[in-house]
Amino acid sequence: MSKEILVKPSLCTGCSTCSLACSLQNRGEFRPSLAYVRIARKEFEGLFEITFSSGCRGCCACARSCPSGALKIIELA
Amino acid sequence: MEYCGYTGIILDIDLSEGVILKKELPVELAQKYLGGIGFNSAILYRELPPGIDPLGPENILVFSTGPLVGSTVPTASRTEASALSPATGLFGTANSGNYWGGELKFAGYDALIIRGRAQKPVFIWINDSSISIIPAESLWGKDSWEAIEAIQKELGNPDIQVASIGRAGENRVRYACIENGPYDAWARTGLGAVMGSKNLKAVAVRGTGAIKVARPSEFASTVKNTYSAMTGSPFYGPFSKFGTMLASTPYHEFESLPGRNYQQGSPDGWLETRTRKQLGKLSRRGVSCIACPIACAHWVQVKEGKYKDLSLKDMEVTPVIGFGAGCDIQELPAIASLSGACQRLGLDMVSASACVAFTMEMYQKGIINREDLGFELPWGDEEGALRLLEMIAARQGLGSVLAEGTRQAAEKFPGAKNFATHVRGLECMLADPRGRWSTWTFGYITNIRGGDHLRTRNPVENLKFNDNPIPYRTEKFGLSDQVYDGLDMPKELKRAAFDPDTRDVNIPIMSMWSENLITIFNSLGICIRPPLLHTLGPTLMAELLTHLTGIDFSPEEIALGGERIWNTIKLFNIKHGERPEQADYPPRFYETRPDGKQGLDPRAVKATLSEYYAARGWDPETGAPTPGKLKDLGIEEV
Repeated sequence: MSKEILVKPSLCTGCSTCSLACSLQNRGEFRPSLAYVRIARKEFEGLFEITFSSGCRGCCACARSCPSGALKIIELA
Repeated sequence: MEYCGYTGIILDIDLSEGVILKKELPVELAQKYLGGIGFNSAILYRELPPGIDPLGPENILVFSTGPLVGSTVPTASRTEASALSPATGLFGTANSGNYWGGELKFAGYDALIIRGRAQKPVFIWINDSSISIIPAESLWGKDSWEAIEAIQKELGNPDIQVASIGRAGENRVRYACIENGPYDAWARTGLGAVMGSKNLKAVAVRGTGAIKVARPSEFASTVKNTYSAMTGSPFYGPFSKFGTMLASTPYHEFESLPGRNYQQGSPDGWLETRTRKQLGKLSRRGVSCIACPIACAHWVQVKEGKYKDLSLKDMEVTPVIGFGAGCDIQELPAIASLSGACQRLGLDMVSASACVAFTMEMYQKGIINREDLGFELPWGDEEGALRLLEMIAARQGLGSVLAEGTRQAAEKFPGAKNFATHVRGLECMLADPRGRWSTWTFGYITNIRGGDHLRTRNPVENLKFNDNPIPYRTEKFGLSDQVYDGLDMPKELKRAAFDPDTRDVNIPIMSMWSENLITIFNSLGICIRPPLLHTLGPTLMAELLTHLTGIDFSPEEIALGGERIWNTIKLFNIKHGERPEQADYPPRFYETRPDGKQGLDPRAVKATLSEYYAARGWDPETGAPTPGKLKDLGIEEV
């Protein structure tokens, strides 16, 4: 059974916990600038863009830490 | 020393000399003063001599992040800014979240110290290890939203976080704030005026570096426990949905709103216009600070009527109570527009709304009239309120007098002194203690920054109860065993703070503990929102801090750290001229309200205050920390 991450940007509140958790999981330190998932903030609109980079190995640390439901783990049969 | 959690570097900039220093963080400072407000208290107590002008180049402005900022600890986004306050002449300090503090940490700095005064307007650009002081004459005169957009455009990166001042800070309004991004602020005690006095328009930050973690897997596991404790709190769901607007209806029921500058506890039509029900029509989504799962701030979008297309973050209870109750402005969109005006002009909403309410009462009583103002200013007039805010920020006409704050403005108008509702020069504009007496409202007179509602608060405050007549020494608990058992505070203190039979809360003791606790939150860089305030205490904090930094912190040391910092700030205030009689409410709160609510009993207030001083180990008459207490805390007097 494989896992995928379901992305719903409209639910993102911009907390960037995904980036922080990704960098801790994959680099052993907090460094969102080198995380495989990044949140771009449009602060005058209160909107957020979620981008995954090609280095992402699908560990799902981001989705496990997302409090808003913008990133969700789904299991594919 | 190789730091984890902390970056280990303090950035120290002298704008007079143009000198930029990067200093190593002394480990003793981290161990004794933790970070955030703790660092600021130690630096300012040591460095600022008495008798200086808060708006002179000799004042120092410090921004300190907490060691947890930049990590996944829920809500670890907070930075404390402090200086000698132009509003009170005492310790000026304010705490703010958003993303700025995270960027400062990722750029490599725990704290930023700003000294001196630039000859011409400048802004500071912190781009990782590269620091520049850039001319900002073209930005001077712009509001904070315009300044942020211009800086992000000039530097070519919308991810840059900008702390800025608006026209109020440039014109040294004594309650000007520092905007943190467009919608958040280091709001209270006039720090924006300090920034303006330094000719400093903004501090822009971008950081791409790392925060090291001493024990990553143990730390991640403790964060998980913290997250579970917080989300298991009965406050979590409602707070996440409604934010601080949860308090709007209970305070109406308690007759504790500051209606028409504290003349009415329950303004007419409140429940139909200014509660969380009406908020639901304006906002359907929350916006977070970095690392915060609560997302208590609301994105407001007005879809119809006079304020159609108004769109901004921040519909907290603060402007709703300040402008909505204090000035009796009845519609949430109008209140949102005034909130936006404060953000753009760079005004602290609490003091600004209190000054407008004070002026409306002068108008009501005929102390000032249309000729003095240039327009009418009846209660509820949002257009008049907006014009007044603009006059204050520009120091035009009567605005110049009001820019000094209600304490000084009241000196100019005979008869106005009795309704200038400030403590030590800082305006109160939230709950009326005559309507609801609690640890929170008692804190107006004990807390270190003046008439303020954010530094003293029972972590298990219960908004279901309101004692009448006022019992002064106690407030009801009435929450579940789960909440009581989960409250992490030193055991002996917990026994003393709750009645063994009824669990009534002892206000003097709980005030002391909550002040220490909130100080620890403001030092570590986490948020005092209720879901966290009542679940997170020294035990979990010590675990988080030890795993993150690799420095061993015990729960006892963390608790002692909070007490040490509060005492250091008290010493700062005494050094800068605080007098014992200033720990008192404004005259209005001792008077019977026009709606019949009885005034406070001055003897009971004084007795409660003496008990608080005793609980703190301070002199029961003067409220000064005793030599024995200072020795216990390891504080050397300067």
